[in-house]
Amino acid sequence: MAQVKKEEKYPIAKRFDIADVQVSREAQAVKPEVIARQIKRAKNPVLVTGGYLLKEPELVDYAVKFYEKGLKIIATGGSSKPLIERGVEPLTVSYTLHHFTQYMLDDEWQGFDGNGKYDVVLFLGFIPYYLSRMLSALKHFSKVTTISIDQFYQPHAKFSFTNLTRNKELHYRMLDEIINLIGGE
Amino acid sequence: MALNLKGSFVLDELKNVQITIGKILEEGEEWDEPVGPTPMPGIADLRKWDHTLLERYEPFYAPMQDFCTLCTMGPCDLSSNKRGACGIDLKTAKARLVTIACSIGAAAHTAHARHMLDYVIEQFGEDTPIDLGPDVNVEAPNIRTIIGVRPRTLGDLKVALEWAEREIVKVLHSTHIGNEESLIDYESKAMHVSMCDHIGMEVADIAQIVAFNYPKAEPDTPLVDAGFGVVDRTKPVIVVVGHNVMYARPVMDYLEEQGRLDEFEITGLCCTVHDMTRYNARAKVFGPISYQLRVIRAGLPDIVISDEQCIRADLLEACSLMGIPLIATSDAAMRGLPDATDWPVEKIVSALINGEVPGVFLSDPEKIGQVAPIVAEEVFRKKDRTKLFFKSDDEFREEIAKCTQCMNCVFTCPHSLRIDQGMAHAQKTGDISKLAELEDRCIACMKCEQACPKKIKIINVIMQSNLQNLYAKTGMMRVGRGPIQDTEIRKVGQPIVFGQIPGVIAPVGCVNYPDLKDDLREIIEEFLRRKYIVVTSGCHAMDIGMLKDEEGKTLYEKYPGNFDAGGLVNVGACVADSHIAGAAIKIANIFAMRPLRGNYAEIADYALNRIGAVGFSWGPYSHKAASIATGFNRLGVPVVVGPHGTKYRRAYIGKPWKKEKWWVYDIKTGEKTYIEPAPDALLISVETKEEAIVQLAKLTIRPNDTGMGRQIKLTHYLELSKKYLGRYPDDWPIYVRSEADLPLRTKDELLKILEDEHGWKIDWEKKKILEGPIRPLDPGFNPTLVEEVFEKYSRK
Ligand code: SF4
Ligand code: SF4
Repeated sequence: MAQVKKEEKYPIAKRFDIADVQVSREAQAVKPEVIARQIKRAKNPVLVTGGYLLKEPELVDYAVKFYEKGLKIIATGGSSKPLIERGVEPLTVSYTLHHFTQYMLDDEWQGFDGNGKYDVVLFLGFIPYYLSRMLSALKHFSKVTTISIDQFYQPHAKFSFTNLTRNKELHYRMLDEIINLIGGE
Repeated sequence: MALNLKGSFVLDELKNVQITIGKILEEGEEWDEPVGPTPMPGIADLRKWDHTLLERYEPFYAPMQDFCTLCTMGPCDLSSNKRGACGIDLKTAKARLVTIACSIGAAAHTAHARHMLDYVIEQFGEDTPIDLGPDVNVEAPNIRTIIGVRPRTLGDLKVALEWAEREIVKVLHSTHIGNEESLIDYESKAMHVSMCDHIGMEVADIAQIVAFNYPKAEPDTPLVDAGFGVVDRTKPVIVVVGHNVMYARPVMDYLEEQGRLDEFEITGLCCTVHDMTRYNARAKVFGPISYQLRVIRAGLPDIVISDEQCIRADLLEACSLMGIPLIATSDAAMRGLPDATDWPVEKIVSALINGEVPGVFLSDPEKIGQVAPIVAEEVFRKKDRTKLFFKSDDEFREEIAKCTQCMNCVFTCPHSLRIDQGMAHAQKTGDISKLAELEDRCIACMKCEQACPKKIKIINVIMQSNLQNLYAKTGMMRVGRGPIQDTEIRKVGQPIVFGQIPGVIAPVGCVNYPDLKDDLREIIEEFLRRKYIVVTSGCHAMDIGMLKDEEGKTLYEKYPGNFDAGGLVNVGACVADSHIAGAAIKIANIFAMRPLRGNYAEIADYALNRIGAVGFSWGPYSHKAASIATGFNRLGVPVVVGPHGTKYRRAYIGKPWKKEKWWVYDIKTGEKTYIEPAPDALLISVETKEEAIVQLAKLTIRPNDTGMGRQIKLTHYLELSKKYLGRYPDDWPIYVRSEADLPLRTKDELLKILEDEHGWKIDWEKKKILEGPIRPLDPGFNPTLVEEVFEKYSRK
């Protein structure tokens, strides 16, 4: 799979809903390598998957690849079903993104596996407005590094893919690039 | 503060309270139930209960905005929980906003009740007895429990309504700058005002059932037509929209008196039409709020009668563009129209027919009854009814051709619908199927059209593309029955509390669904097949009537209307939600003999610990939905909302790993006991139908379940998780107290998992759990979270 080329022009980071506006910092729209670096640096990273995996099989493929690279998966919204069928063992299947976010806001929480809280959290396959609210909560009330790797630019994440709604291929290439980079060393 | 029946200091200040006390005392003589601790509670009286709930179910905030503009010291940046100029921080500001939303919702139902009660008292008299049918003796469970009176006549409802009005004002006051500083106390106030909401709903619905002689708790109410294609377009069509039927109801009477009901189509949208069908089952249901622009832009109405709540704020413009006269009836939404209430009927008719005015404000129900049919007939005579969303196919195609795929529409659509792709595909191939696919998920909010630089009539394009299917989405809705019978409660009370009936699922509320409408039917049918009780109301109840299975049947045609295992009960319009709360209260009273009178905390505590009822709102958006849900939460009933529900900004989600939060007093042993986290949330949102189903099943689990009850609930929870999530749920072991709780068919497998993966000790010979559970199953377990209840029953 081809890498995103340096000279390639990325679309502008237009938020998924033009009215979802806040005064605090907006997500940095970043290239895959920045995200890969964040994952590699993290002590306890995790990938949270959402309900769009039930609609877009390609997202299942990518979640499986992340898993194969050693990333733990918290599966929400029923995304666990196709993942389990592909041999993934998610950390959890029955907690919602809402539960997970509430738990993440608690300093005492030690994670689903008791290994400590997750410091870098990637989100893949979510209804954009639903994820946006959770990212907003995490932005204002926690220090966790949130990264959205969906096709929509998510303004309340710390890092987000830019708006990729016009170019699914670019979205997939960017996911591939992260996966290649985190396995590269 | 609570009404102190012995004290007199309150009386000095508030004259009307004196009347209220008189009423209570008078009632006291007639009703031998002793007055509980909190009749007519003030803000502070149930605060302890709220704090107990909120200690366990910690409020969660997801800001929409991180700034505040409510006063002129602002705008203030509250991001990362900073404080604004007034001193409020972001979380507390969100709690205040939720309190405001719940106050708006409560005010809506309570003002609705005020309009209704004043009108029916004027029409039928204060002394009209409250008769809800032979099987309903506990006539007003919310009023009995909260207010502490037992209303016998329409006039008796005034006490309850005045109390609600007073408390709503007090809560609204607390949201003024410079009041509350604790977010928990704001949440307590949101719960308080939402309890007022349940009183407002109960007053409104009892008043209309009694005055208008609606079905009285009858399970077998008629089926009426529901859906976009219901009307016979060879007749004049009168369309009602809103929530308060008192204004439009006389249209039916007038036409019936004239013997002309058959010559017209009486139909409508939202709760007003719900109640029209309760009044006369010849009314037909167009659909929920999202059908307003569908129906109007199709030119189907010959006159529209609007009243209050959840009506588009551009209704007049939408009607005018289609040449449809509008009668606005409620002072809540006068729409800038001239007040024609004192005009003679002929003058109103001629002004509307001749187009002198686009509409009128007319609040006299009897006049509306006369005016609407005449105007509809005239408009009908003149109208060209052959065109729907476009005059011609050419015009339709030209509209599609204008699109440049700029995507402005997509980035404002609440569902990010890919209008651009549908348009592009149609432009390239002539195939409109991709546009047609959008119809089901489009709520016809019109935001896309506002954003479109080419001014494309996007809604019309989408509707026209799917016109045939839109017409075909027509089914049957069972007319709202109102309350649940005492006899039904007597039958199901025990199986619900013990758990043999696994739960009561209550799908209620609005239509901002995350995905296809049919998901609602799938979710509900999953529970009906498993013999849960499903009780519905409002827009959900309507949509259920429009959704058909492969054999073309709606759920109403497949499942009976009894409040019993596998029954699908439509209670009616939104205000009939009070009967759902009422059913929970009646279980505590009729089955468990718990006294209701001014005894709210005990009843709510009973519901939380024993009654496996869960509210479900798949597409909530109104303020009323916020107050209905929060009112249920205070009553100890958890609520699951669809993903748009996160925009209410607040949820109540417990943390199962914090063992110290999950305790109860056990009246049997006299000790504080740690329990399993059941239910683990009071308000939670889910993303998909799969997730909704599993969460609903989990949230019916209650600490008081018997072994058999827990076994049944766990069986469903485990099966549903496996079916929809691909494996057993992560937390099932925490709900196991003994081997008796385990599903029979998978018992060995589950015991093995408990042993291998969770380190539990199992006696394999006896197939017994020796060590592992949070607590053992104790058949005499008698849980409560309320200290006073613990003391009261321990003494006994
Ligand atoms: S009218 Fe339909 S397509 Fe347009 S923004 Fe609203 S939901 Fe989206
Ligand atoms: S905003 Fe208008 S022109 Fe732009 S993509 Fe949408 S429909 Fe087409």
